[in-house]
Amino acid sequence: MPSSETSKTNFSSILIYTLSTFIGLMGLLYPLIFPNLMQADFSAQPRTAEMPLMLTLLLAICVIVILYEVQGSSVDAKFVALLGLLVSINAALRFLEVAIPGPGGFSPIFFLIVITGYVFGGRFGFLIGSLTIFVSALVTGGVGPWLPSQMFAAGWAGMSASLCKPVVRAFGNKGRIGEVFILASFGAFWGILYGMVLNLWSWPFISGSAVQFWQPGISWIDTLKRYLVYYLVTSLVWDLARAIGNFIFIMLFGAATLKALRRFKRKFSFQYFPAQSIEMVEDSQN
Amino acid sequence: MNPTLNTWTWVIWLSSTLVVIWSTRNPIYLGLILLTLICVWLSAATRINKQYPDSRSTIPFSPVRISVFIIFFSAIFNGLISRFGNTPLFYLPEWIPFLGGPVTLEGLAFGVINGMVLSGILIAFMTVNLTLPARSLIRLIPRAFYPLAVVTSIAVTFLPNTTRQVDEIRESQAIRGHRVRGLKDWLPLIMPLLIGGLERAMGLAETMTARGFAGDEGKPLWTRSRVGLVFGLLFLLTGWLFQLIPALQVVGIITSSFGLCLIFYTLWTVGKRVQRSHYRRETWTYLDMFVIIGCALILSIYLLPFLWLDKSSIAYNPYPIITLPQFDILIALASFMLVIPAIKKSNSNSDLHNQIRSDD
Repeated sequence: MPSSETSKTNFSSILIYTLSTFIGLMGLLYPLIFPNLMQADFSAQPRTAEMPLMLTLLLAICVIVILYEVQGSSVDAKFVALLGLLVSINAALRFLEVAIPGPGGFSPIFFLIVITGYVFGGRFGFLIGSLTIFVSALVTGGVGPWLPSQMFAAGWAGMSASLCKPVVRAFGNKGRIGEVFILASFGAFWGILYGMVLNLWSWPFISGSAVQFWQPGISWIDTLKRYLVYYLVTSLVWDLARAIGNFIFIMLFGAATLKALRRFKRKFSFQYFPAQSIEMVEDSQN
Repeated sequence: MNPTLNTWTWVIWLSSTLVVIWSTRNPIYLGLILLTLICVWLSAATRINKQYPDSRSTIPFSPVRISVFIIFFSAIFNGLISRFGNTPLFYLPEWIPFLGGPVTLEGLAFGVINGMVLSGILIAFMTVNLTLPARSLIRLIPRAFYPLAVVTSIAVTFLPNTTRQVDEIRESQAIRGHRVRGLKDWLPLIMPLLIGGLERAMGLAETMTARGFAGDEGKPLWTRSRVGLVFGLLFLLTGWLFQLIPALQVVGIITSSFGLCLIFYTLWTVGKRVQRSHYRRETWTYLDMFVIIGCALILSIYLLPFLWLDKSSIAYNPYPIITLPQFDILIALASFMLVIPAIKKSNSNSDLHNQIRSDD
């Protein structure tokens, strides 16, 4: 591809990622960003009924567009097979979780999402995260309006895992316990963030005590305070179990998994050439 | 499992159900909708139990129990945390953080309504999940996403093998004296599972390449599709922001709808370039048509502004003081339209059609 074409493609790709993420985040964070826009007596308005539907649609569109962009151009058999099998393993880990239940919101799926996102890159991480949620929802009957926000959050957990690479490089920790510690801390961070993102989907539509629930017209600091109180009361313990579980899981199994994935990444980095093109290469070498 | 209706009919039914449930807060209508949804679920569960007598384990929850549970806890939760309403039932001591204060009848009623909405959504999804097999849902993935559809197919196909492999690994390790007592004991289970999966991925990639799955390797995404998506997203964002301002709601709806159409049109255009083959096409029957007509009717009754129909009863709010909800017989009758998928097909043609599809 010519370089001008490549730069156009990269620019439009970045624009799509940015816009989709921005819209998804705006959809979740609008009670904090636009506290004055909605009418005062929100609970009595018919929009109470429309907004969850709209948000589901908005997040679903964002996930669809990012998935389209992430699936990208270089879809080869190795990519598809590796992704399919890893998604299958991660979905099976959810079954393992049912057999050996963990505490609170702990789920072993984040372990593989974070590690594969880190080893294979953000694009692969996003696909592992969102497709794990999608496939496990298909096979467990968990398809519902919550699915787009779950796919969005899990996808971003995988995609952002690649951000750990510069941190690991900066500390010179590659191949050491420090690398696993950084990934474990990142997993713990997403353990909390995942719950916070999912709560944001429903929080503006719940009414109740003035100290915990959203009220249109108040400042964003008050809104944030109320959300934090709500989160503290209803979700922190649950999410803390997920964060601690992610941390322990990655600390215990991270090193072995990183080693295995890196070995297979090297094994997967080969190219297939049709017989004719091999002959052409050999001819040109001769 | 054998769906009696076309997959798209189920999607239309599910979408209509969700729109209707989200459109009303009247507990009478919500109760009627819940009743119809339970009927549809029971009909689907009975059919599956008859076809597959040993499939009880795949039907984990009763919708009645789940509804009672959700409505009860939603009422208690909202009653305890809500301080709105003019009819206090009793007072909780003020020293209890976040909970102290009056528990009102209106708070409980609002919780019941929330619980009914949530139960309705759950039962609608439970019914579709119960009726449609995973392969039907995978078929719904648009053509533009064919690589992801292949990934999903692989994941769903390999999942039973992977879970079987988990059991085999557990058994093998148990024979060696390994016992799972804590998280640390998961390592001898997870690593063989991961490495086995990666080895199979390698084999699968070789097989797929040998069979010619590499056609799009290195082919760039269509530039026009990216432009369409970028503009679609921009319109969607602008329209949504307009919708947050009450005075600009109509402009917002039009703008975001245009953005949505642009995104779908772009994906449809991209999808047209992908060839899809069908082993066996799904058929449409008269029952599909009745379900779609029923959905169109209920949606028009709930959403369209008919001059001859007073739709004030659709909205209901128990705050600040509880009142009896209004009732309109036409809206109530329309709510029963969602029960059509529960009608059993009895003619031999449809049985034959089902038989063919179960062999699929």
